[in-house]
Amino acid sequence: MTAAAAHSRGLVDATEPPEHRGVARDAVRMLVTDRRARSQTHAHFYDLPSLLRPGDLLVVNDSATLPAALLARRRSGSTLPLHVSTQIDERLWTVEPRGPVTSAETLMLPGGATTKLLAPADPRRPRLWYAAFELPVPMPAYLARFGAPIAYAYLSRSFPLADYQTLFARQAGSSEMPSAARPFTERVVARLQNRGIKIATVTLHCGVASFESPERPGTERFFVPPAAAEKVNTARREGRRVIAIGTTVVRALESAVTEGAVIASQGWTDLFIDQAYRLRTVDALLSGFHDATGTHVSMLRAFIDEDLLQDAYAEAANRGYFCHEFGDVHLIQ
Amino acid sequence: MDWFQPEHVAIVTGGSRGLGKAVARELLRKGLVVIIDGRDAAELERTRAELAGTGDVVAIAGDVADPRHAHALIAAAQHMGRLDLLVNNASTLGKTPLPAVAELDRSTFDALFEVNVFAPIHLIQHALKLMARSDLATIVNVTSDAGVEGYPTWGGYGATKAALEHVSRVLAAELEGSATRVLVFDPGDMDTAMHRDAVPDADPAELRDPADSARALLRAIAEMKAGFERVRATDLIVA
Repeated sequence: MTAAAAHSRGLVDATEPPEHRGVARDAVRMLVTDRRARSQTHAHFYDLPSLLRPGDLLVVNDSATLPAALLARRRSGSTLPLHVSTQIDERLWTVEPRGPVTSAETLMLPGGATTKLLAPADPRRPRLWYAAFELPVPMPAYLARFGAPIAYAYLSRSFPLADYQTLFARQAGSSEMPSAARPFTERVVARLQNRGIKIATVTLHCGVASFESPERPGTERFFVPPAAAEKVNTARREGRRVIAIGTTVVRALESAVTEGAVIASQGWTDLFIDQAYRLRTVDALLSGFHDATGTHVSMLRAFIDEDLLQDAYAEAANRGYFCHEFGDVHLIQ
Repeated sequence: MDWFQPEHVAIVTGGSRGLGKAVARELLRKGLVVIIDGRDAAELERTRAELAGTGDVVAIAGDVADPRHAHALIAAAQHMGRLDLLVNNASTLGKTPLPAVAELDRSTFDALFEVNVFAPIHLIQHALKLMARSDLATIVNVTSDAGVEGYPTWGGYGATKAALEHVSRVLAAELEGSATRVLVFDPGDMDTAMHRDAVPDADPAELRDPADSARALLRAIAEMKAGFERVRATDLIVA
């Protein structure tokens, strides 16, 4: 059994958003791993403000989820689900066709649009292709009209796009939800502010995750605005903790480090963070539980060693924690 | 060992016609993945469709002098996880017929430097990190004898090529000891749209087929021994 498979063993698939099973967004469970005490405790997400310290800085990802799943038609007439992943320029995106395709193939899309598959985007990941789109309107507007949220087989049915947006969602661009922030609600944010806990915002547009392999994570688009860089640098200078809400935030901040400080940055990152990586911007992490996504588990190893990671996942499994985008969360501090 | 390995990734700017298109074709024949750009989206798409039969080619329409476009070119390579060859081929003559230095207006001079000097430098700056992952990466800056000789009316264009060559030399010195090399390549007088714009009455029979210059460039890359070289196609092609 691979390490990734072992980590997911026993976790329960979240087949629907918690609200659909009578649990408020902010009432999902939260496993709290204490790095120093090497212990786990159980809480609910709404306990977060009381578990953090005044002066802590939370950094959230404000990327909004696109309805990135399209149904394409091949020249042969057969249909092919197509997941739109990452933007390179106005017309060029990476996509994941959910079935076999050939190079230079043109796919028909709803509303008279087309896309041409140019070349595999990564020889190690033949499922991802460069695709040139001919759309009547810009991609976000096109997807809003014709797309659906990407959904995998463990979900009980399809859910509306609103279920895939976090409280912080402002910049449309993720093909899959940056889900660690999903439990945040206005009341939790108000209590955080009352406790003197500040929030900074970065953007990282999540690409499709289904092809993730332990070898290398995908390339994703990110923005670290001047305000976020300033807040993180100030917090670190003053010895206050920086807490990333999601591995996407860790990736964005660590991609923006130059000579020990975070600088306002934008671009695409393929930074791979694992146990060998020395974090320079982040002290703690809130993330979801995800199975078999090697790169997700790899990044957790930058925060805690393998033994503690195994303990945490075993503890979560014993208590029947839910995994995937609508699941429970894990605070590592 | 052949330097050109399948799955190596190359960016060729100005790849929709002339030398750039010919270089892209030769690289595709070697099995490389090639990213090309060009300002004219329709012409670029025709070239892409034509080259697609030879190998994996990705086309991104845009102006090399536009930073956002340059970022997109690098991002495309980043998705493939590597960049082994950057050919800064796109360049402009500015205004034609070419003006004498005495008549060279400031906006033409600025535009020449934007496209022929600042754009390739910017692209190199963003490419270096990705190229550092390659066992042996090569930056090619396409130059011209107009950057060396004092041909009348070629002052503006020639000045940009002289500047690009000098930056190339300094860059190579700064990269010494790394696995990234810099090649300055003079393709010679070729039968291209650019040459027709500059010298409309030239006899095409006296001009070189860009495909020959492209093959000379591939040979120059494969035979490179130092961290910096300046190669003229003329010296590699036996007439």
